[in-house]
Amino acid sequence: MSDPTTPDPTTPDPAASHPMTVLVTGASGFVGAEVTARLTAAGHRVLAVVHHNADLVRNNGRKLTAGPGAVTRITGDVTRPGLGLSGADRRLAAGADRIVHCAAVTDFGLPPGRYERVNVEGTRHVLGLALGTRTPLVHVGTAYVCGERDGIAYEDELDLGQRPGNDYEKSKLAAETLVRKAAADGLPVTVVRPSIVTGATRTGRVRDHKTVYPVLRVLTRGLVRTVPGHHDAVLDLVPVDRVADLVTEAATRFRDAEGRTLHAVGHELTLRDMSDVLAEYPSLHVPRFVPPSAFSATALPGRERPYYDRVVSLYAPYFRRRVRFDATHAEAFGHRPPATGAHAYLRRLLDHCLATGYLGPPPPREPAARPDGSTHR
Amino acid sequence: MILTEERLQDLLDKSLAELPLDTEWAVTLEGSIAEGFGNPSSDIDFLLVSRRDDDLPTMPSLLFVDGRRVEIRTRSVRQLADQFQEVERTAGRPARLSEDLLNRCQRVLHSHPLRGHALVEEVKALLPVERFRRITADWWAHRARQSLRHALALQCLGESDEAVDWTRAALVQSVKSWAAGLGETYLEPKWLSMQLDRAGRADVRDRYWALEEAVVPSGDAGAARAHLTACLDLAADLGLTGVPRKPERLTVERVARVTTWQTGERVHVVRGGRDVFALGADAGTVWRSLVLGRPLPRVLAESAATGVTDPGPLLAAFLRYGLVRLVWKGGGAVTPALPLAAPPGPVTPPPSTARPLLSVRGAAVTGARAVDLMPLPADRFAAAAMALVWSNVVVENAVEDLTGALRRGQRRVAELTARRAVHAALRGLFSAHGVNPLPADTDLVRRMDLLPAATGPIGVRAGELLGRGVDSAEDGDALRAELRRFIALVRGAMGADSFPLSFDSAHTWRATLQLGHDWLRMGAHLGAELPIEEARELLAGNGAQPHQAR
Repeated sequence: MSDPTTPDPTTPDPAASHPMTVLVTGASGFVGAEVTARLTAAGHRVLAVVHHNADLVRNNGRKLTAGPGAVTRITGDVTRPGLGLSGADRRLAAGADRIVHCAAVTDFGLPPGRYERVNVEGTRHVLGLALGTRTPLVHVGTAYVCGERDGIAYEDELDLGQRPGNDYEKSKLAAETLVRKAAADGLPVTVVRPSIVTGATRTGRVRDHKTVYPVLRVLTRGLVRTVPGHHDAVLDLVPVDRVADLVTEAATRFRDAEGRTLHAVGHELTLRDMSDVLAEYPSLHVPRFVPPSAFSATALPGRERPYYDRVVSLYAPYFRRRVRFDATHAEAFGHRPPATGAHAYLRRLLDHCLATGYLGPPPPREPAARPDGSTHR
Repeated sequence: MILTEERLQDLLDKSLAELPLDTEWAVTLEGSIAEGFGNPSSDIDFLLVSRRDDDLPTMPSLLFVDGRRVEIRTRSVRQLADQFQEVERTAGRPARLSEDLLNRCQRVLHSHPLRGHALVEEVKALLPVERFRRITADWWAHRARQSLRHALALQCLGESDEAVDWTRAALVQSVKSWAAGLGETYLEPKWLSMQLDRAGRADVRDRYWALEEAVVPSGDAGAARAHLTACLDLAADLGLTGVPRKPERLTVERVARVTTWQTGERVHVVRGGRDVFALGADAGTVWRSLVLGRPLPRVLAESAATGVTDPGPLLAAFLRYGLVRLVWKGGGAVTPALPLAAPPGPVTPPPSTARPLLSVRGAAVTGARAVDLMPLPADRFAAAAMALVWSNVVVENAVEDLTGALRRGQRRVAELTARRAVHAALRGLFSAHGVNPLPADTDLVRRMDLLPAATGPIGVRAGELLGRGVDSAEDGDALRAELRRFIALVRGAMGADSFPLSFDSAHTWRATLQLGHDWLRMGAHLGAELPIEEARELLAGNGAQPHQAR
């Protein structure tokens, strides 16, 4: 491990204080929209690459309002060379001072080709765009490129011959490897690796119920009661605002961030922690975690099996991985201390989901009539 | 006053003559007689005030003078000043202002000086009487609001008789708040009738007494509601703010360190990391329907939608036991309290007397609507349950080993494994009765006296089996058969659900392990002792033993 050198805040990056033009891919996404909001609020012009010409919606559910920096929406598709930009948009993109590459598919369980197309080929196309103009790139990866391993994952590690936990992780590892290669070829890059991106720090609010949310719903509704996992396996949940702050800062203070890989990580929660906090909620079921060696999906009750296969099994690596993410570089760069209060944060996430009805008992059905016709007991 | 100045001075002289006082004291008469209330049997309360610096004892001296009970308290000026300061400091948070402190201050401020008038007046001037009226009125108003909100909640939950009692409490508290604002700050409600007579508002007095004497038939929810409405109207007319009208403003909230643990179908709720409540099927269903943070009427409707009849009283029990709490939107937690009563807070019911106490599937309950408190602390409860699961595993293992040993003619091994099975069965029996930690194996038979008398024959039988040797193949077969009968006997005493689980199939073996994991999860949360580390290993890794069930 090399010692991180703490950037000196007394010599600010000139670009940080001057309005820039930043091209953001995946600008309508969970992280992309928040990064866009921060850049425009700081006075930078954003070229927001979106797949569909829809409104940009922030994590709080409100439409993103531009200003003081302008937000120009550009229709593009990372799966196409040159992002499929029109001639005019290509010229606009060529004038960008920075590229922030947020576009990715993060859902689990999709066909492998989809990860390859969006996450790997998409990154290749973004790199092509950046290399053409040598535009500094901030690549948003994932801390889980570490693959299936225990122990501490460091920011300057990438391909250690690890086994990816799923096709998503595999594609992000391949994408980041492309980014490293481009860096070796002279492209100025910074990689920000979020862990599992979840709701806002203060409110727990979340726009998209993705990442860990679907599995949380299945488990807390008691739809699957037995899960293979270790009580000391660690899930790292990072608030979306924390990720967006770091990505934005990497783009605006690029001189300090260049060449670095920054772990955008948050609250470490073991399955034991999850279990203890879930137990505080009467309506939420706490799954029993059994050692993977003792687990057999075929032994699950018939009603649990489809939920296990379609949802829970996709997260299986996350329930057995005892990995912690070192964030020395990110902390030194961002001057932000590690997140604290993991239990309280998880409660905020759960409270928000209960308030919106995403979690909690499913809507009541008509009670089944008994043989005598009664429905009450 | 009911006593003349002369009579009071005479009583004071006689009282002081009985006490070895070594300094100059100012003396003032406190309490009901000084207030102008009292009767011939009322106590005489003298407060002696000194400028001394040392702390004077809080406990009063009790004397009997001319047939009257006399209480003599001593306080330094500094102690009294501290009391007044503390009242001022907490005045803005009436929930934290202690009743005793308020009472002590009130008695000084409304006392009648008998000696050293200047010092008594100096002390009284430390807290202006107008200010004290306001503090006392606010203190009562806070209590009235709490009682009214609690009454409203109980009514919403269908507990109308209890609601009526809290409404009556709120009625007294509302009127006491109003009267305090007029200077009638004497705290005990005992002399309320005289305070109302003196307040000079016959209309209020008459309205109060009409409501106080109103007969609300037991179980008549309509009459209870009407009574509450009339009391709310009076409270509002008397200037009480924050009077609750809509139960929607009451939300059901989480209580710190209350957790839910389910094993099999049994729901256990742990309070404060210490007390385990076992919920019957209906109580468990209602508990599981609770989404905290929602308005009480909605929570009630959602619990009714589960199909459990009349869930209100179950929710009321959860509240009573402090498993959930109520919050008034914008007004903090609802903490009803009666004057001169036990401090507010959760009730602890008597512990369950169900025997045996638990099975591998969960604690025994006394009925579908039961919210039964377990008679042992949570960590021991979880430890006993884990020991029970483990004893099941060991018995089954030992019987398997016995069979194998007999097949190979290993007589000594067979004897030992038979003893192991007997000990494990007894450990299960003790654990099912909540004995934890367990006696040493060698003591188990002797300690059968810890268990209900009906289990006596098991102890006798165990003693016989433990003394048995195996001298021939026939002996071995007989021992195995008797061991099976012994296990059946234990099963009879513990219930078929408890012990031993049938390990006839992979499915039942797996079910046992899953129950073991359920208990481990709860035990880990509570920091409970595991039976032995091997138990964790078995539950952790060797899921296939002893039947290769996977």
